[in-house]
Amino acid sequence: MLPHRRVENWKKLPELANLRDLSHPPKELYFSGRWSPDIFTSCVAVVGSRRMTDYGRRVIEKIVPRLVFEKKTIVSGFMYGVDQYAHEVCMENGGKTIAVLGWGIEQVMEGADRKIADRIVSSGGLLLSEWKDQEATLWTFPVRNRIVAALASDIIVVEAAVKSGSLITANIARKLKRRLWAVPGEITSRTSSGTNTLIDQGYAKMWLGDTPQQLPIMKDPLVQLIQEQVLTANDIARRLGKPVSEIGAQLSLLTVTGQLVERGGKYYVSEN
Amino acid sequence: MLVKINSVANIGLETVPVDVEVDVATAGFPGFTIVGLASKAVEEARERVKTAIVNSGFDFPPKKITVNLAPADLPKDGAAYDLPIAVGVLAASGQLGLPNGTIYFYGELSLDGTLRPTRGILLLALFAKHKKNAIIFVPAPSAAEAGVVSGVTVIPVPTLADLVRHITGEKIIAPLPHTAYAALDEEESADFDLKEIAGQEQAKRALVIAAAGGHNVLMWGPPGTGKTMLARALPGILPPLTDAEALEVTRIFSISGLLPSGVALIKKRSFRAPHHGVSAAGVIGGGTNPLPGEVSLAHLGVLFLDEMPEFPRSVLESLRQPMEDGTVEIVRVAGHVRYPASFTLIAAINPCPCGYLGHPRRECKCTEHQIAKYRHRISGPILDRIDLTVMVAPVEIEKLSIAKEYSGLSLGSKEAKKAVIRARNIQSKRFAGTGLYTNSQMRNREVRQFGKLTAEAENFLKMAAQKYDFSARSYMRLIKVARTIADLAGEPSILPVHMAEGLQYKQLV
Repeated sequence: MLPHRRVENWKKLPELANLRDLSHPPKELYFSGRWSPDIFTSCVAVVGSRRMTDYGRRVIEKIVPRLVFEKKTIVSGFMYGVDQYAHEVCMENGGKTIAVLGWGIEQVMEGADRKIADRIVSSGGLLLSEWKDQEATLWTFPVRNRIVAALASDIIVVEAAVKSGSLITANIARKLKRRLWAVPGEITSRTSSGTNTLIDQGYAKMWLGDTPQQLPIMKDPLVQLIQEQVLTANDIARRLGKPVSEIGAQLSLLTVTGQLVERGGKYYVSEN
Repeated sequence: MLVKINSVANIGLETVPVDVEVDVATAGFPGFTIVGLASKAVEEARERVKTAIVNSGFDFPPKKITVNLAPADLPKDGAAYDLPIAVGVLAASGQLGLPNGTIYFYGELSLDGTLRPTRGILLLALFAKHKKNAIIFVPAPSAAEAGVVSGVTVIPVPTLADLVRHITGEKIIAPLPHTAYAALDEEESADFDLKEIAGQEQAKRALVIAAAGGHNVLMWGPPGTGKTMLARALPGILPPLTDAEALEVTRIFSISGLLPSGVALIKKRSFRAPHHGVSAAGVIGGGTNPLPGEVSLAHLGVLFLDEMPEFPRSVLESLRQPMEDGTVEIVRVAGHVRYPASFTLIAAINPCPCGYLGHPRRECKCTEHQIAKYRHRISGPILDRIDLTVMVAPVEIEKLSIAKEYSGLSLGSKEAKKAVIRARNIQSKRFAGTGLYTNSQMRNREVRQFGKLTAEAENFLKMAAQKYDFSARSYMRLIKVARTIADLAGEPSILPVHMAEGLQYKQLV
């Protein structure tokens, strides 16, 4: 059992304002880890099936590093499969993650659960639960899903079957007017039927890793320069009067995040 | 009468003792025979020795003379046995009394009795150094290369007659003074200073990274953009050769006979730029008695392959072993030798056969098929060993003058060299005791051990890997390059900016 504490009077805390959107907010909140209000400022929930396929694994490896790069906190439900893998990839990339447990904070965890929980706490993340000593049972999991949905501004469903806990989270997110995203999958795959349906019914937008999403172009002199003219790294360095090593690094960063496009050594501002 | 003279044979960079036994028989039909697996050059020593002895004012005995070069099963080549044979004939015919002690004779004779420059003197000196109180008699024109070896007496012999006068005590030849390594001047080390090259800031930066981390570079661009100039500037930013390294390089040049007369030690890093008509043997080394090829002559220096796809496939493929191991093994009938060949490869490639693909003003005349064929001439395994790829775009005339305005920003070879030496010092501390010297030599295990990525840098790397669909190898390569960039910045761990800059030099194909 990890050391834990009760959040005193959580309804007064500004960083938890999101949780008050719920029609049935939790009575109490317990946590393990070091409490810092910053971790709640920009949360994205990544949720999905317990039976993660190889596709789901690859999707997480693709989308989570990018979210971490954008300084998002990854929130998920700590269940094996998609949830735990999202926590792990987030930590591997140096990000902070919040795990909302489907059982009381005092319940003893074993094996892989225990290892990941330890890692979350030591990497600066949080374990969160609304119960003290509640055992995990069938009803506790869907109930904790509402906290996952409420904490995040965006919810990304990676893989989900038609009848699954992830779709419960998706439904709550819709009611809370959170942005709901679903990763499309093969139409023959059972674990993608839920996500595909969300997209098909128009409840969720498609999440495609590569398109730059909600990323405003910085008012960077470099970007402004490229907006006027297509240039090479050497040209840019010369015009801005800066060493090419610095400019090169900046160009790579902007290219990898999708704001610039490089073709034949020349840089363009991305059309998206 | 039978006499035995000491000499040596150089097999590759290995020196083995050879006994030159000369017998002038009292009975028998007059004749002159050389036995002991002598090559044509050694066979011909008979005529040179005979004439040189006569022209130096001695008698060539009209008797049965037999010369044996022992060990008899080792093939001997070269003209270096002229001097020991001549001394042997003079001693065996009673015209010269040999002094006691460990004495080696080595050198080629000309018909008038003067000694000609002979290759491999440095190797002889290094060999004799391990014998007690050894004296070596070598041709005066090549004697300088033995000067850096301490613990051996070097007698520079101008002519055969002078040698006899020295031994009889008539007129002593002064031994060659020992030259201390530090006393030798640092040579002007490169053909170009980085400052002289207009524009191409990114290519210059790539060269600095290459010099600092020992990475190979591929330069990509149309003709006339300065690729060759850039490559020629590289030796000027490489750290100076250490004593041990200089000796190693000089040995290779000594055995190849490429050491200019009077030069004691090569302190300048070599720059080799073989033409694309070169044969595989010319590049990796060859010949009946294998001599070093371009890869060995470029040892610890730069091998520049201009228009790399024009080189025959066999030549490019033969570079794989030296690029992997830093040595090259040549097998011939006469035996097999191993030469060191640890070089920095700089390859220049045109974007297409005509050279103008992507040029801002000129039109490319190549078909898609031609371009694909051209690029396929360089195999994956070779490209895999190249860490940095850089575009060398055409510099427009107007920009040449703009570059001058910002000349304060452009990097000179002197400062670049200082930065390189700093980065190399960091590396030698890091790799102490591992047998590695530079970041480019790290294998996956060392990359994990010494890479020291911050979590943010790893995060960035993973995003880049996703975007460009990196192979595992490209992934490791980028970490190595980023490690060098971090070393240049003096940072203990790799930060995202280092990773991001490294990404600028990723491969284009």
